[in-house]
Amino acid sequence: MFRTDKMNSIESSERTVVRVAAAGSEADPPEAVKRTDARVVPVGSTGVTALEPLVAVTRGGRTAFHARCSVDRLEGVVAAAEEADDVTAGDPDAVVDHDPDATRLPAVDLPGLSAGRRDVLGACGWRRPTSADDHEAAGGFADHDAADVFDAGADLRGRGWGDACHDDPVGESWATARDADGDAAVVVNAHGSPADALLLASAPLEVLDGATTLADAVGATEVVVYASSDDARAVETAREAVEAHPDPVVPVEVVTGPPEYRAGEPTMALEAIEGNHRLEARLRPPGPERVGLDGRPTLVHTPRTLAHLAVGLRGDDGDEGGDTRLVTVRGDVETPATVELPETASLSAAVDAVDVDGTLKAACVGGRFGGLTADLGVAAGPDALADAGLGTEGVVEVLSEGRCLVEFVGRRTRYAAEENCGRCVPCREGSTQLANLLRDVYDGEYDPEGVAELVGVMERSSICEFGVNAGRPARTATTEFALEFEAHADGQCPAGNCFDAREAPEVTTST
Amino acid sequence: MSSDRSEVDVPPLTEGIAPGTATDPDVGSDEAATVTVDGTDVTVPAGSTLLDAVDAVETDGYVPALCHYGRQDIGPRSECRTCMVETESDGVVPACSFPAEDGAVVDTDAGEAAEARDVNLDLVLSDHNLRCTTCGKNGRCELQDASIDQGVEEPRYGVLDDRDQYEPLDDSSSFIQIDRNKCILCNRCVEACNDVQVEGVLRMEGTGNDTRIGFQNGAETMEDSTCVSCGHCVTVCPTGSLVEKGIENATTIPIPGFNQKNSIGKTYENTDSTGSSGTVGRSDNQMTPQKRDQRTLESEEAPPESDGPDVVDPASEVWDDERRDWP
Ligand code: SF4
Ligand code: SF4
Ligand code: SF4
Ligand code: FES
Repeated sequence: MFRTDKMNSIESSERTVVRVAAAGSEADPPEAVKRTDARVVPVGSTGVTALEPLVAVTRGGRTAFHARCSVDRLEGVVAAAEEADDVTAGDPDAVVDHDPDATRLPAVDLPGLSAGRRDVLGACGWRRPTSADDHEAAGGFADHDAADVFDAGADLRGRGWGDACHDDPVGESWATARDADGDAAVVVNAHGSPADALLLASAPLEVLDGATTLADAVGATEVVVYASSDDARAVETAREAVEAHPDPVVPVEVVTGPPEYRAGEPTMALEAIEGNHRLEARLRPPGPERVGLDGRPTLVHTPRTLAHLAVGLRGDDGDEGGDTRLVTVRGDVETPATVELPETASLSAAVDAVDVDGTLKAACVGGRFGGLTADLGVAAGPDALADAGLGTEGVVEVLSEGRCLVEFVGRRTRYAAEENCGRCVPCREGSTQLANLLRDVYDGEYDPEGVAELVGVMERSSICEFGVNAGRPARTATTEFALEFEAHADGQCPAGNCFDAREAPEVTTST
Repeated sequence: MSSDRSEVDVPPLTEGIAPGTATDPDVGSDEAATVTVDGTDVTVPAGSTLLDAVDAVETDGYVPALCHYGRQDIGPRSECRTCMVETESDGVVPACSFPAEDGAVVDTDAGEAAEARDVNLDLVLSDHNLRCTTCGKNGRCELQDASIDQGVEEPRYGVLDDRDQYEPLDDSSSFIQIDRNKCILCNRCVEACNDVQVEGVLRMEGTGNDTRIGFQNGAETMEDSTCVSCGHCVTVCPTGSLVEKGIENATTIPIPGFNQKNSIGKTYENTDSTGSSGTVGRSDNQMTPQKRDQRTLESEEAPPESDGPDVVDPASEVWDDERRDWP
């Protein structure tokens, strides 16, 4: 057997390829492994960190997976496979047969990785995050007609609150930006969403491909990737990917903003990129697609939206067809996970991908200001979620049996009161008064109509989505879990948390 | 990167002015438009908002439009949301910052819009020290007028009545008194100071319920700010938050010992009058207005190095609510 790197993309027909998927730093493989013929390649996280480091040993069309495989174990696994000339040696946790040229992580029967599809997440845990060769081998960096791009934009809906087209088809704003005066810009807003941070860290070229393709189609002159300074790895990987991009049509730069939640709001993202020391939302209309970064027409999309564009354009979105959604499950779970579900699949499929701490009582669906529900039978698509009064942020926060929902909602509302940008009355004063209404419950005054009236006004008159959504936890909880609020008004906490906590105000840390 | 950006397109005069507010787009209409407000057709010129049309007719519902100023290019800040109206095409919108488009049909009486105006005015009052009897603006206060016209009797959320929550009165300047407990954060003073006077003294600072007007040089009191006492901010302030010295008690009920200062309880006095320094009050002989450049973002530095698995740790939050008590 001879060693050659004639192809720089990962290729396993002639020698074994060992992928090590992890979110953390790439430890150097042990010397003993390096001396074998196997080629060890670090790849990004799959999204299911509970399995990591996940080692995938591939030869031709067969891959053996070893979950939570330490560097020490790696040596044994590789040695066994090489010795037996059989990837399935070394007692793997799962073995999968697939297309020998597979460019996506094949479906594998491991907890978390068997859920849903892997279209947009295909590169995560399979291709090297910053390898242009791997991305090209998967059909990336193709040229696309502007007309095709606009066709794709007609059906594509913006993902997440950081997207200026949250839940809306993006095409119209693309046409506006293309036709507006001034040099357009594309902003990739990766701030604050776990799925977006995952894409930037594990599949940044997918995101950049989408962004530069869009920039080309609308005639933009610049792409700015914006992320939280807290997502160090995502930022670093994005910077490397920009370097690795063989032929970006426009200059791409990576900029970080402060880690506060509000800094992910699309117009606050623009303020941060422009260098303002204090962030507050801008008025609209006109939206950023007409007047955005430095006054130029600007398209603000999340990595999720842009990766969906890139994958959709090359027709790589699976055999089943239909749109998918990235869903991150966190909260009272052993280890958080991000999976990809068809829009028609129910959220419970995502929750099945994790180990819940205890039993599930409810979930906060739709991010920081998601809606509370005990029914996870609702489909992952935005319309079904909106019909159920839930949020579409792509995050399901699991709340286990011991949780008091009145407390949860109270804390979330107080968070809104302290973390909003301070600009508009319905959000700034409204969230403070909403927290007061929720505090009054503990004094026996529960006013569900007052809560509904206030939340309605916050939703309909706040400047940005922060305030529009800030009352959602309270609105959904007071309708779906009214009994729990009534019990508190009677001095009882069904979960047994609140009234003790009140007498003994001790610092509790439960995360 | 970002720091370079902040140099771009900033006119030299305003370079270094950091008001802490967002750069809003121009919200007026592109061209002249005819708008129907409560059944009456109104034609407004290019650059108009729906409020221009609303103001031109006798409306069915009262539209306080409290934070709107509409002169000297100040605003729209569009923060009070007491100007919400219903439109046929776009639902409930803020009239003061929504472009007047030809053919728009506005209903001021629609339930959801009227409720929003009503609740938002009560929300403004909830954070307002309603001690009108000791206020220098009593009788010429836009919040008072709006509340009377709106027929507010008992604001839903009460008023700011807890003395422990009061911010100290800033009486340190010889010309202007600041009572932040009466501030509605309309930003008029900040714009007057920065955009009209180009003095770069006032700014918006803080977040959430700690949002307040402050000073760009970081001073805690007016006396230590770079104020040149031009007085423009006072003339635009709708409430008793910024009042000219000398008339701060003009409308106080004449009972001895009953005045604006003791309505608050805590006051920043002029350091001269408290005898702590031999200098004349700073506001009299402002020498070197030191304008601070705040247009820097600490995040410009490279992200902190970290070797732990930091990416897929969605539980990480800047703000840890769990560590604090509730209720
Ligand atoms: S909704 Fe909240 S975060 Fe958004 S502009 Fe208003 S105060 Fe700021
Ligand atoms: S009086 Fe002072 S704070 Fe007010 S506008 Fe003039 S310079 Fe600015
Ligand atoms: S001090 Fe007056 S003008 Fe300035 S923000 Fe407050 S209310 Fe508005
Ligand atoms: S007048 Fe429109 S928001 Fe204040």
